[in-house]
Amino acid sequence: MIYAENLVKTFSKNEKKNKKRDINAVDGISLTVKSGEIVGILGPNGAGKTTLLRMLARLMKPTGGEVRIETGGKIIDSDLEIKRCIGYLSENTKLYRRLTTREHLSILGEVYGLTEKETEDKINEITEVLSMEDFIDNRIEKLSTGQTQRASIARCLIHSPLIYIFDEPTLGLDIISSSAIIEFMKNEKKKGKTVIYSTHYMEEAEYLCDRIIMINGGKIIKEGTPEELKKETGAGNMREVFYGLMAGKELLI
Amino acid sequence: MSKKHNRSVTKALFKKEILDVIRDKKTLIMMIVVPVILYPLIFIVAMQAMVSISGSMEAHTYNIAVSGDQGDAFVKKLTDSESVDYSLNVTFYDSDFAYKEALSAEETDVFVSCETEDGKPLYRVYYLSSVTNSSYAADIVWEILGLLREDITREKIEAAGLDYEDIIEPISYEGVDTASGEQSMGSILGSILPFMLIVSLIMGTMYPAIDTTAGEKERGTLETILTLPVTNRQLIVSKFLTVAIIGIISALINLISMGGIGLYMYNLMGMTGQSGGVSLVKFVPSIIICVLAVLAFSLFISAMTMCITAFAKSFKEANNYITPFMLVVMFIGFIGFIPNVELNAQMAVIPVANICLLIKNIMLFKINYSIIALVLISNIAYAALAIMFLSKIYDSEAILFGDMKNGIQIFEKRSNIKKGGVPSTGDAWLLMAVTILLIIYAGGMISVKSVTAGTVTTQAIILLLPLCFAIYTKKDLKKTYSMKKTDALGYVGGIVLMAGAILIGLIVTAIISSIFPESAVSASAETEELMSMGFPVTLIIIAVMPAFCEELMFRGFIFSAMRNRYKISTAIIIVAAIFGIYHMSIVRFFTTGLLGAVLCYAVYKTGSILPAVIMHFLNNALSVIESYYPEQVGKVMPFLVEETVTVSDVLITALAGVVLFALGILILKHTGKKISLRD
Repeated sequence: MIYAENLVKTFSKNEKKNKKRDINAVDGISLTVKSGEIVGILGPNGAGKTTLLRMLARLMKPTGGEVRIETGGKIIDSDLEIKRCIGYLSENTKLYRRLTTREHLSILGEVYGLTEKETEDKINEITEVLSMEDFIDNRIEKLSTGQTQRASIARCLIHSPLIYIFDEPTLGLDIISSSAIIEFMKNEKKKGKTVIYSTHYMEEAEYLCDRIIMINGGKIIKEGTPEELKKETGAGNMREVFYGLMAGKELLI
Repeated sequence: MSKKHNRSVTKALFKKEILDVIRDKKTLIMMIVVPVILYPLIFIVAMQAMVSISGSMEAHTYNIAVSGDQGDAFVKKLTDSESVDYSLNVTFYDSDFAYKEALSAEETDVFVSCETEDGKPLYRVYYLSSVTNSSYAADIVWEILGLLREDITREKIEAAGLDYEDIIEPISYEGVDTASGEQSMGSILGSILPFMLIVSLIMGTMYPAIDTTAGEKERGTLETILTLPVTNRQLIVSKFLTVAIIGIISALINLISMGGIGLYMYNLMGMTGQSGGVSLVKFVPSIIICVLAVLAFSLFISAMTMCITAFAKSFKEANNYITPFMLVVMFIGFIGFIPNVELNAQMAVIPVANICLLIKNIMLFKINYSIIALVLISNIAYAALAIMFLSKIYDSEAILFGDMKNGIQIFEKRSNIKKGGVPSTGDAWLLMAVTILLIIYAGGMISVKSVTAGTVTTQAIILLLPLCFAIYTKKDLKKTYSMKKTDALGYVGGIVLMAGAILIGLIVTAIISSIFPESAVSASAETEELMSMGFPVTLIIIAVMPAFCEELMFRGFIFSAMRNRYKISTAIIIVAAIFGIYHMSIVRFFTTGLLGAVLCYAVYKTGSILPAVIMHFLNNALSVIESYYPEQVGKVMPFLVEETVTVSDVLITALAGVVLFALGILILKHTGKKISLRD
């Protein structure tokens, strides 16, 4: 289970005439995601999705608020221990082009403190799950987009994290690759893992997510199961829910 | 996290870095191909070129044109002393011979006009120094004329019935070189080797440094690394070790390659019997210390290059940043070629220069272990400092994720530069580096001929270079140079503060010159040249010009750039330190630094550069007045000129300084605001 309490991230932006202005990219977001739950973060570009996910994964330090993880009655709040529990993936987490997938995995195993035997077993397991037998010993630069994405997921799996944080994992992938990733998330949920992910694909979110959090301007504007959201807004599907909420937001301004 | 695991994390990260770096072709080429193939190639080509040049020299026939009534004696001597090395082709011409045209058309190599003037033969040798053959021919003629003079002298002395040898050479002398073969060889190695090593180390570390920092950002793998449970220190140490090890390997490959060429040359000399009994065994301790020096220096240079490249977001940008740094380091590397620069305790802590001089010294077998230790330790300490700085950088999210304000704009296309604002810190640093180099080269070279012209050139550089920078990058000049009016209180406060700073500076100078007595010697020849120009001119050159030019650069361009990015206190410290370094003297570093800080403070508080200009002028004018009218100054301010200083003098000066300093700050704090009596 991962908690976030009143997370705030302030960036100072350079405006015209050399004046600085503080902007809250994330402006007081609190959330709790239980194990065995998939939560989708939806919102337009610039809503603060990436910043929120980066703070959850401890890539960024929040200006205000806290992130904690609870597992088996233990509370984890140090940066390094939180990172140890999380598998984070975004379009910015690229792999080293000149290294092979196997090299990535065995080095990461060492970083996460696995023994050689554990690492080797884990690599074999991951290779089978993601069917990477054909390309695990090829350098990343030689792989196709779909293969690279599978290698990236493999990277998140090596330390058997409790929580997956994926920032637009299906962006730019073909249907086969993206459905493989969706199936993967579903399987991990069945194993009791926590999944938080952001996407622009409404149908995908509706199909996959137990709960959806809509954010805009750094704040949560709506939260609930897909059914609740549809019922509340009277929309037929998530796309309409999204349009309705974003249009309403604009009217408010 | 346990210590053992901590180390294995660093080890794993290091493994990744080194795998990534050595699979990069650019690094491999720099590391192996350049030293192993390029050096011997250059060497062979150079040897071939030398052989063919000297061959062509021997075979050459020089065309010598002669005119005038004294020509016969000269030509006779010329033909008599013709040697096997060259042949001469002498032609007589009339005195109206168009020698300029003939020389530039290279039909004639040298023209000798042999006239009688004041009853004495006068030989004028016309040649073209820009043409090699002409210069050689002139040298030959020169030698012949010397022989001719000797002949005539001998004739005249003997005609007078005297003994020629007795008159011309009443004493005889000769030099005996007691340098052993090793020493002569060491002196050659000592000047070339440091420079070659420094260049090869920079070349070797440059690509891995860029690759592991900016390259990682550009390829998008940095965020991947940040998802891992690793500390910044582990990350930096692993990167640093990678860069340093690649640097060391490439330096060693370079050393071996150069050593191979050296051995080849040694054998070549041995065959021709010129090696003078050099025992290579004697070089073994030197080589061991040399390797240690290379290790320490590669730590230093890796850390420094990484500090620079970490600011860049892409390979290209990093290249732009590293090039000026490389030039500066290479420039300092030339110190090995300068004779009479001693490696003392002060030099031993100056980066780059210390390694150069150390290698030079050990090749000359001057081995002083405490100095060697100081050099090695200072290099390692600088590397450690740089690494700490880097760990801090990697903490800052602005550098990792966001846009930076410290980029270098001058390399951008001008149409892409936004108008307005003040210069970026990147531009300010680059400007500083370029200016200092220009001052050293242009200003320094002109100073050798004339101190006045040198000073004027330096000031012109200081004024114009930043101005060009600012105009090119479309900066708001009013803002950059703090061109604003201020009230009378600003001037008063500034002047009082300056007076305090000058007094404190006197005490500081006295303390420092007692620590470094050798550096207190003033350049009297320079002062004399300036003083010969008269008081008004000296005042303009020493006081008026620096007040304008230096203020506009340091308190204008650089200070506004630093203020825009750093806290005000940090900005003042940076500008003060730069100002101190700019004066290039250890004794004056602290005093000029203090004055620099005070001037910054005045600009900061009044928002205007004008009080600083006045303050700077007064400070410099005071020293001009002091050197012109020491007696009068002595009457008003005895502490400035007195030879012996009593303790009470020092205390009174210090007290007065501190009081004035505090008063000045107090006044400046209230500038622009009305001081109410109730306050």
